[in-house]
Amino acid sequence: MFKNLIRLGVASLALVALTTSCSKEQQFTSEKTDAKRVEVQVLNADLAKVRDYVPLYAVIAHRGSTFWAPEETESSWRWAREMGADYLESDVQCTKDGIVLANHDENLKRTTNIENVFSENVPTSRVAFYMSLGFSKADAEAQYGRDMAAFRPFYALSYYYAELLMLDAGSWFNETSLEQSRPSFEASETGSFSGGKIVYSNGQYISALQDQIAYAEGKHLIRDANGRRVLSYKVKDEYQGMTLEQIYNAIKAKGQYNAKYMDFIEYDFANAYEPDPQDTGNRPGIYVEFKESWLNPGNMEQRVYDVLSECNWNIIEKPATETAFYKGGKVNVGNTNGKVILQTFSFDALRRANDVFKGRIPMCYLLWISEPAYATDIAIDDPTGYAAFIKWAQDNGAHIIGPAISGAPNNYPEMNAPWQAYMIRKSGMINHPYSFDSWAQMCKYMGYYNYGLETEFDDLLRLEIPATAYTTTSYPSSVPVYMDGFFTNRTEMSLKYMIENGFRGNSKLPNPFHPGQTYDNSQANVTVPDAVETLKRLGY
Amino acid sequence: MKKYIILPALLLFALGAAAQDFDNDPTLQLEKKDAKFTIGARFMADAATYHSDFTPLQSGASISDARIRTSFTYKNWYLYADFGFGGGKFSQKNIFAQWSTVNEKGESHSIKAGYYNDPAGSMARNTSLGSYHFISRPGSSYALGEGRELGVTYKYNSDKFMAYQGVFTENQYNKIKAGFNGVTVAGRYLVRPVYDSNQTLHIGVSGRFAKLGGGEVFKNILKKTYHMGQTLETYVDEDEQFVNADLEWANTVTNLGAELLYHNNRFFIRGEYFYKHVNKSRDTYSLMIDAQDNIDGWGSLEAWENANKLRSNNFHGGYVEAGVILFGNGYRYNKADGLLGGLNGKALELVARYNYTGLNDLTDGEYFNAGRGHYYAAGYMEDWPGTGATSVGGGNLHSATIGLNYSFNKYVQLMVDYTYHKLTSDYYPNDKNFHVGQARVQFTF
Repeated sequence: MFKNLIRLGVASLALVALTTSCSKEQQFTSEKTDAKRVEVQVLNADLAKVRDYVPLYAVIAHRGSTFWAPEETESSWRWAREMGADYLESDVQCTKDGIVLANHDENLKRTTNIENVFSENVPTSRVAFYMSLGFSKADAEAQYGRDMAAFRPFYALSYYYAELLMLDAGSWFNETSLEQSRPSFEASETGSFSGGKIVYSNGQYISALQDQIAYAEGKHLIRDANGRRVLSYKVKDEYQGMTLEQIYNAIKAKGQYNAKYMDFIEYDFANAYEPDPQDTGNRPGIYVEFKESWLNPGNMEQRVYDVLSECNWNIIEKPATETAFYKGGKVNVGNTNGKVILQTFSFDALRRANDVFKGRIPMCYLLWISEPAYATDIAIDDPTGYAAFIKWAQDNGAHIIGPAISGAPNNYPEMNAPWQAYMIRKSGMINHPYSFDSWAQMCKYMGYYNYGLETEFDDLLRLEIPATAYTTTSYPSSVPVYMDGFFTNRTEMSLKYMIENGFRGNSKLPNPFHPGQTYDNSQANVTVPDAVETLKRLGY
Repeated sequence: MKKYIILPALLLFALGAAAQDFDNDPTLQLEKKDAKFTIGARFMADAATYHSDFTPLQSGASISDARIRTSFTYKNWYLYADFGFGGGKFSQKNIFAQWSTVNEKGESHSIKAGYYNDPAGSMARNTSLGSYHFISRPGSSYALGEGRELGVTYKYNSDKFMAYQGVFTENQYNKIKAGFNGVTVAGRYLVRPVYDSNQTLHIGVSGRFAKLGGGEVFKNILKKTYHMGQTLETYVDEDEQFVNADLEWANTVTNLGAELLYHNNRFFIRGEYFYKHVNKSRDTYSLMIDAQDNIDGWGSLEAWENANKLRSNNFHGGYVEAGVILFGNGYRYNKADGLLGGLNGKALELVARYNYTGLNDLTDGEYFNAGRGHYYAAGYMEDWPGTGATSVGGGNLHSATIGLNYSFNKYVQLMVDYTYHKLTSDYYPNDKNFHVGQARVQFTF
C-alpha cells in the first residue's frame, strides 16, 4: 500500500515534468488568436434593422473633400454630390446663437481668415450688431461686457453666426493646397460691419447644418449680385420686446445647456437656397459627427435632431418612403431611411445621442488610439478591449464602427487590422474605416496586396465579388474585404476603384449581414466624372 | 542545581527554533566551548503545468529556491543569516541577531533585531516554505499578509501564551525615490488551550499598523503607492497579473488577523483570516492647482475632487488547510514560533486547502470598460473631466488545492499539488478558471 503511494507520488512528479516538456510551445497573448476567442456582442434585432438602412459599400465624402476644395463648404459638398458620393460627411459645432455649424474645427483659425477680420477680442462691431437688432446702446454695451467674460478667441462658440458669415472660408485652401487652388474659392470681398448692418463676405462660408442638407438636396446658396449669400435674421419672436439683459437672464434660466449661449436670433434658412442649376440628380445622404462634447452645449444632439426635423430629414418623425439607394444611375440615399448617419468619438455624445435618437438613426462610433490615451481613446487595443468598445457602442445605440486606418498622408494609427475587421464583422456592425486618400489604401483594405493576403480571418472577411461588365481588375474575385463603406477625401478615386473592382454597379454583391442574400447596386452610376471638370462645371 | 541543566536545554530549544526559514538542524555543526557554528543549505525545484481559459501562463520548470544558511550561537546569543540564489539571482533573506533567556518555568524572553518576517505578516508567511505542507503558501497570505522587514521585536513565550511584537521600517535599504522608510508596529498573540507532546491547539490574533513613508515625487508632491498581489500559488510562473492592486496615495496600512491551528500526531488543520485597511491622503489642493493647465481650468477644488475622488479601501481574505499523515512520522509543533513544523523523516501525507483572496473593493454603481481599463463613477463612460471612480478591481480569487507529500527522510521530499482557481476580475473578463498542476523536489541539510 505505502509503496504504491510512493510510486504514485513519483509518477505524479514525472507526469507533470512530462506534460511540461512535451506540451506544445508556450502560448502567448496574440490578437490573431484571441480575436476569435473573445466573445463579441452581436447587434440586436432592433439595431440590425436600422443598420440595414445604410447602403453597403458606401462612399462617404469626408468633409466633402479635403483634397479638391475647401472642406465643408458649398464648393466641396456640391463637388462631392456631383461626383456621386453616397454621403456628404461633416462635423458639428455650435455658434454663440446656437446655430449648428457643419464645420470640423472648434477653433476657426485654420479654415478661415478670422484672424484678419477680428482681433483676439469680442468683435468691436458687436455693440453695433446688437443695436442693429433694435437694442439700446447701454443694453448692448452691458451685454458686450457679459460676452467678454465668456469669450474664447476664434472659437465658434464665441461668435454669432451672422458674424461668421463675414469670414472667408476658402482662401486658406488656396494658400495651403497650391495645386488645387482656384481663384473662385477665395472671396473677393471680405465681410464687414458697415451701413449699420453685417455685410457678408462673398466666397466660401462656414456652413450651417442646414446648408449641408440643402446641398445634398441638389440646391445651392442664393447669392446676391455681389456674390454674397442671402440669409436674413431677426430676434426670435419669443424674445421680441425684451432687453438683452432680460434675454440673457431668460436663456440662463433655461439651464446649463444654454448658459453660455445667446440663441435668441433666428435665421431664415427656408429662403436661403435655390435649386442648383448644375445639379444632375444625385441625392446623397449626410454623415454628421458630434465633436467635442465639453465645448458644445450639452443638448447639441437635441439641436441636431431639431435641425433634421426642421429640414424634413428626421426619419424618426418622417420616415422615408423610398428604399432604393440608386435610381437610374443616380445616388438616391438621401431619399431613403439611410439619409442621415450620425457619428462620434465622444462617450458623452454617443450616450446623449442615444437618449435623443434612441438608436433609430444609424450611428457610427469612431475609434482612435494615441499614447498616452486621450479621454475618448480606446486605451487597451487588444481583442478584449476592442470587444468592450463594441459592446459599449451597441449598448449606446451604435450600428457602425469607424476605425482609423494607416497610410499617407495622414498616417493614422491602424485600427482596422484583420483581427479588428473580423471582430466588427462578427458583431454584426457595419465597418466604416477612415480616411482613404490613396489607391494603395483602397487596395489594402478591399483587398489585394497586403491585407488581401490570406489570413486566419478569411472565414468572415473573404467575399466573392462577381465580375461585372465594368470590372477591369485581373485579381481574383474572392477577396477579403475590410470595410462596408468608407470615408474618403478622394471620391473620384474611390468610386473608380469600386467600379473597376466590382463593388459598384453590381447586382450580385454578397451581403455579409445576410449570408446567402445578395446586394444590388447595379443602378449606381458606373462612370466617374472628371474631378477637375466637375469643379469647373460648378463654377469654380 | 537542576536549573543549570534545564535552562541550557530550554535555551537551546529557543535559539535553535529561531531560524525561521528552516526548521531542521543543519548537518554541519562546529562547536567550540560555548560557541557553535552551523552551515546548511536548501534546494527546491518545481515543475508546473497550467491551463487557463484565455490568458496563457508559462508552464515549465524552475529552481524556485536555492539557499545557504549560517548561524552562530554563543551563550544567550544567536546570530543567523541566509541567502537565496533561486532564479539565478542572489538575494538577501533573513539576517538577524537574537538574545534570549529562559527561566525555570519555561518562560522565555527574547529580543531580536535585524531583517526577518513581520510577526503579524501571517502564520503562513512566518512558516518556512521548506516546512510548508503545500508547494506554495496560500495566496491570501501573499496578497494580504506581509513579509520580511527591518526592525526589532520582543517575544514572550510560554506553554500557554505567546506575545510577539516589534517595530519595523517599511523596507530594508532606504532606496526609495522619495520620502523615508516608513514605520510599522506589529504584534502576534497566541493562546494555547491545548499543548502537550501529542497535540496542540492555538488561537491567535495579530495586528499591524504601518505608516508608509516612501514613494515618488509626482508633480512636486510625495506620492506613495501600496502594492498588493499574489501569484496563482506557484513559483514557476510568478506573474501576479491576475490578482493585484496598486493603491495610489496610500498613507497608512492596518492589518488585522485571526488564526487557529490544531494538530495531533496524524492530523492538522489551520487557518487564518486577513483584513487589510488602506487609508489614503494627498495634497489635493496642490494637485488641483497643478491641473489648471488649460483655459478651461477646474473652477473649484470641489470640482477637481469630484473628478478625482479618493477613499480608503478594505480587503479580506483567508484560508483553511488540513492534512493527514498516511504513514510515517507525525506532525510537530514549534512552540518557539507558534508554527506547525514540516514533515520530519519518512512520511506520506495528504493535504487539502481552500483559499480566498479578495482584492476587489468596488464602489456600487461604477462602470468598468476593458477597452479603457478604467472604472467610471457615473455608471457609464464620460469624456471629461475624469472618471471620479474609486473602485479597486484587484480581483477575487477562490482556490482549492489537494496535494500529496512524500518525505524519504529528514532531508529529501517530493510534493505534488493540484489547484483549481476561480477568478473574478474586471481586468480579465475572459479568464474565469485556472488549473494548476505542479510538483516539487526539495532537499534540505
